[in-house]
Amino acid sequence: MPSVDMREICKYYPESGVKANDYVDLSVKKTEIHAIVGENGAGKTTLMNILYGLERADSGRICLDGEEVVIRNPRDAVRLGIGMVHQHFKLIRPFTIAENVTLAMEQRKYGVLLDRREAWKATEKVIADFGFDLDPGAKIADLTAGQMQQVEIVKILYRHADVLILDEPTSVLAEQQIRTLFDTLKNLTCLGKTIIIISHKLDEVMSIADRVTVMRKGKSTAVRNTDEVDDKELSRLMIGKGITYGFKRDASVPGEPVLALYNVSVAERTGHRPLLDNVSFSVRAGEIVGLTGVAGNGLEELEEVVNGLRKVDSGRIEHRGLDVTNASSYFLREQGMAYVPSDRLRRGSSLSSSVLENLIITSRRSFLNRGFFRRKAMEKFGREILKHYSIDTDLYVPMGTLSGGSIQKIILSRELSAQSDFIMFSDPTWGLDVASAEYIYSRILECRRSRAAILLISNDLDEVLGLSDRLMVMHRGKVVGVFENDGTLSKETIGEYILGLRNDFKGDAGNDGQATMGRGDGNGGGIDDNVVGGGSSRDCSDLSPE
Amino acid sequence: MNVIHNAVAIMAPFLLAAIGGLFTELTGMLNIALEGLMLIGAFASVVFASATGSLFLGVALGIISSVLVAYLFAFVSLRLKANIFISGLATNLLASGLTVVLAFKLFGSKGVIHFPGAPVLPLVSVPALERIPILGDLFFGHNILVYLGWICLVLAAVVIYKTPFGLRIRATGHDSSTVESLGLNPQSYQLKAILVSGFTCGAAGSMLTLNLQAFVPNITAGRGWIALVVIYLGNKTPLGILIASFVFGFAISISNYAQGFMEIPADFILAFPYIITVVAMIGYSAVRHYRSQKLAMRRDR
Ligand SMILES: Nc1ncnc2c1ncn2[C@@H]1O[C@H](COP(=O)(O)OP(=O)(O)OP(=O)(O)O)[C@@H](O)[C@H]1O
Ligand SMILES: [Mg+2]
Repeated sequence: MPSVDMREICKYYPESGVKANDYVDLSVKKTEIHAIVGENGAGKTTLMNILYGLERADSGRICLDGEEVVIRNPRDAVRLGIGMVHQHFKLIRPFTIAENVTLAMEQRKYGVLLDRREAWKATEKVIADFGFDLDPGAKIADLTAGQMQQVEIVKILYRHADVLILDEPTSVLAEQQIRTLFDTLKNLTCLGKTIIIISHKLDEVMSIADRVTVMRKGKSTAVRNTDEVDDKELSRLMIGKGITYGFKRDASVPGEPVLALYNVSVAERTGHRPLLDNVSFSVRAGEIVGLTGVAGNGLEELEEVVNGLRKVDSGRIEHRGLDVTNASSYFLREQGMAYVPSDRLRRGSSLSSSVLENLIITSRRSFLNRGFFRRKAMEKFGREILKHYSIDTDLYVPMGTLSGGSIQKIILSRELSAQSDFIMFSDPTWGLDVASAEYIYSRILECRRSRAAILLISNDLDEVLGLSDRLMVMHRGKVVGVFENDGTLSKETIGEYILGLRNDFKGDAGNDGQATMGRGDGNGGGIDDNVVGGGSSRDCSDLSPE
Repeated sequence: MNVIHNAVAIMAPFLLAAIGGLFTELTGMLNIALEGLMLIGAFASVVFASATGSLFLGVALGIISSVLVAYLFAFVSLRLKANIFISGLATNLLASGLTVVLAFKLFGSKGVIHFPGAPVLPLVSVPALERIPILGDLFFGHNILVYLGWICLVLAAVVIYKTPFGLRIRATGHDSSTVESLGLNPQSYQLKAILVSGFTCGAAGSMLTLNLQAFVPNITAGRGWIALVVIYLGNKTPLGILIASFVFGFAISISNYAQGFMEIPADFILAFPYIITVVAMIGYSAVRHYRSQKLAMRRDR
């Protein structure tokens, strides 16, 4: 008998005019791990929000253990033994773990006062019972992402949940933490819990889930046992066609340097270790320079420096020979430097503004007529972009109601439509499904074809290996390796540089900004050069130091 | 040491209003209606005290009136989802208009209205202890509403830090979506916080009029706004609020005192509370800026 049975669930969002769930069925057996996969915007989160009572379905039935139930709000869900770990953590950062775990079901003494000791004990008990390793007295703000995830699960278990929903639990975790999480989940099913997990990463789904439900465009399109499908078939079910693995990156002769950095350094405020240490390189017209490394090694700082969001302490940055060191982002944009930031929700877009406003913000001046906007022209421009980049949305919906993939497409099309001679991408496909990612890749390659200089900052090794003409590795604020991506480069070699295991790169890339040294070992590592690996996970995560 | 004794009396309305404002602040709302709520309490308490001849009834009904207006404010802001700044402003305008209109209708005057029949606020007098220097001034010989303020402060500290209600109030302010995902209704905590602010502002207001046995239009004179400043200066903690409101009370008390023997223009004396507010706010933001820089530095490390 199914433990959770959702039948013909429909949910329409009038705000965005989207049928997020269109007669969706989901049937989850007791003590199984059931995965839900689907592209961005397929309606996975919506379905789970309905099960957890955060949204009401327009129609449909939910049965738990064969009995029909009505779930009006999360309180109902909790009472029925359903718990949810959300896509973004729901934790109060200044509170302790024990406070977060017991919040809303506090331990009391004398009826009205908080019983801290009991809260601590109860939390400790759940942690011990389910084999976690956490200190109930620790503050959330001091935890790693992996530990926060554990707290979320402890929180649910404290509420005696039998059905655990996890919405993309791995996107914030490093490889090691993912393995720990999966062990935990398997352990929990042995203890009688049922688990529903949403993920984009098919290899993860294959390794953890017993069964998988595929969703596409608001519909549930298939249910499969994981031992009876492979990830090729899954992705075919998700996208609706066989996945074409990758793009050809045709040869390109780089032209003039467009952006050049000369010995750029940024000191840490306390002056211990420089955040950027004598970084020199250049990006030429018609080439893609990939930049990779583990988070915390200067990639973020470099991203900010190149975009005028952070001041450099020494060194020089030139754009087409013009000194733009420490220029403002505003000035840099005026100079024709485009930027697709990794933080697409805060830095890349204004979530409360409409799609149209987000689209025209960088080119707003061309729509002014004596200081007022010419609405017609704006709408025409907006509609053309949506059509050209085949983005399926309306001009006047707020950006925040779109799915992650659509938001990224809109940012991208805005930056690309400016026809800049330099574009920096930072983690352009983070959190996107395979189809959206491939779309983004094809656009990036298109830019290269139109002779833009492209700097691609990414933690995804497959991505940089597939797209870059040249590849640079940063470690502790230094460029520790520059490689011509000629097909002989292996992931393993780059990995060693990323982790700082190898430091034999002596070249001074600064002199002409184009030095190409340090060849890869050339064993290929199973990576077909010139091909963007579409379906694999972010391999960089298992290189992180934790 | 009359200066200290006066300071304690002067700070009491600030303290009370700030305690209520602390609750709303902790749930993540900037409650600018403190001023209006105080004014309602001020008017209603003296009217009811004089009408019933009972101090207790006067204060109680003053508080109830203020809570009712707070409820209206909450309804508009939370249920009807009006912008809380606008609805707060509206509450203040309503309070100042309503009190003047009612005063005119009931007593036929738009100016100062005396209530000679209203009962006097009794002092808690312990002559032996009052003579202790400083401590005597701080703790004894004040009117009973001053003590109500202290009781409220202790209660507030207990509620905020030691009860599930306080925990949820604070959680709501930090991230209401988390509270919601746990099956609680964050708005119900915001509502309760607004009602608490109605309660303490009512008490704060009654102190102003019952002390004078008179109602003066807009007698609160910006004290609700200063109470907001007190909350921030007090770093949103009960103890901080106590200290910040004492600093205000003390500064005003000194300026009153100085008036007696120094040639200070009267206008300046009147403006003094507002001047220290501005100075205090500038100082506060400078300190915050410095702190956040230090924090950033620690993060970089
Ligand atoms: N609160 C909302 N208001 C309006 N539209 C919404 C809302 N939440 C989701 N949608 C829309 O419903 C559709 C499904 O969204 P949902 O978040 O369920 O997708 P998802 O499968 O979880 O995608 P992702 O993998 O990007 O998280 C999207 O098109 C989205 O724009
Ligand atoms: Mg989702």
